[in-house]
Amino acid sequence: MRNVMSNSPSSPMSKPTSPQSTELIDRYLQAVRFWLPRGQGQEDLIAELGEDLHSQVEDKEAGLGHPLDKTETAAILKRCGSPMMVAARLGPQRHLIGPALFPIYLFVLKMVLFWILIPVFVFIVGPANVANSGGNWGLAVASTIGQLWSGLFIAAGIITLVFAIIERTNTQLGTEIRWDPLKLPPVRKEKENGKLSRLKAACEFGFNIFGLIWLLLVPYYPFLILGPAAAFLKAGPLLHTFYLPFVLLSVVALFRSGITLARPNWGWFPPLSQLAQSVLMLILLHYMIQDITRAPGAFPFVVLADAVRDSAKYLKVVAIVNVSLLISVAATWLGLCIATVIQTWEFLRYLRKRGSPPRGIVSLILR
Amino acid sequence: MTNGTSGSEVFENLKLELRRGCLIVAVLAQLRAEQYGYTLRKALADDGLEIDEGTLYPLLRRLETQGLLASEWREQDKRNKRFYRLSPNGETILRQLLEEWERINTSLNKILQEASL
Repeated sequence: MRNVMSNSPSSPMSKPTSPQSTELIDRYLQAVRFWLPRGQGQEDLIAELGEDLHSQVEDKEAGLGHPLDKTETAAILKRCGSPMMVAARLGPQRHLIGPALFPIYLFVLKMVLFWILIPVFVFIVGPANVANSGGNWGLAVASTIGQLWSGLFIAAGIITLVFAIIERTNTQLGTEIRWDPLKLPPVRKEKENGKLSRLKAACEFGFNIFGLIWLLLVPYYPFLILGPAAAFLKAGPLLHTFYLPFVLLSVVALFRSGITLARPNWGWFPPLSQLAQSVLMLILLHYMIQDITRAPGAFPFVVLADAVRDSAKYLKVVAIVNVSLLISVAATWLGLCIATVIQTWEFLRYLRKRGSPPRGIVSLILR
Repeated sequence: MTNGTSGSEVFENLKLELRRGCLIVAVLAQLRAEQYGYTLRKALADDGLEIDEGTLYPLLRRLETQGLLASEWREQDKRNKRFYRLSPNGETILRQLLEEWERINTSLNKILQEASL
């Protein structure tokens, strides 16, 4: 629509009765002007705010019957608000990424930071730093954290910049056009408040009992772990060193599954205890790998049995078995790292969801 | 309250949302007669709708940009003042808004009566 009456004032600041008030109002307007974005409307807004303040002073003076002093004028300005706050309210509403793009921005940011960048550093960059550190794990970890920190900032900065450009250029993402209700994914079935089913908990408990018994029997019946090779192989120093910690870890696992079975209402317990167990296992495997890499060959998993100690034909078999076990331990360590990240994520998700009602209830409320 | 939001804070936020639309109608209705910013604020306050400078002037600016108001700087009592009044388009929109207001009010009364039964 055409604005038929608009034109700017030649002198926006006219004088109220008291020079003291005028001086204070002019200082106030100057401070507001500093925070307002420069442009066509800036002077108009300042002029209009100035007029309003002068009118307020005038009204007050008329009521009191005397010109306002500095303190009385300051009280009016104080009620109006700090210059920065007033400028923020008067000026145009500005944002780097608008509400339409923000959910997509947040989704991309989470995906890149938590599901790409962090796993890359944990599983690729971190191990590479450790391998190149010459056994100095502390330095390797500190260096990885430093690189990860810089990587997070750079990635977040680039993503924010790209979305800010999309916002500024008003690029249409086409989501409205492509959206089809028939192509929405089916509703996911969720576990209620992270509780494990009784059947699953019972199976886990039974499996842990079986596992512990098996582990306790292994020293007496080596074929339980070595199979037919028990005829010419026996446990080496490494297995002897770590046998007891593994038994203790199995006992912990048994208690964990027992408590889960006995206390199904402790929704927090399964994700937290599972995470703790994985961390303990990781620590154990870490020390195991450290022992192997510190002095290769000095701590074998298996050695030749006494009866065949001099047999050269079995030495190659021993070497193959030890390398295979080392690869298995390394693979387990890597798998546990991934599991720990997922379990941490699930535990955090559980904590976040604890306060909110299940989705079924939400849909019932909305109905 | 959950999520650390106090009851009074929730009420204040909802009150603000409720007031936002009502203020536009009130401002448009007041400007059927020409007024400048300060007298408009006073008139609204006298009728029970307090509005601060930081809310009123951007609102007036926006309504003018949308073509609902027309403004003019004029000298009065030795001071330059910006006078606003409803534009012809603003009058049409105000009429439509008031009809919508009536409809909402009727529906709300009906809902409240049903709820009290």
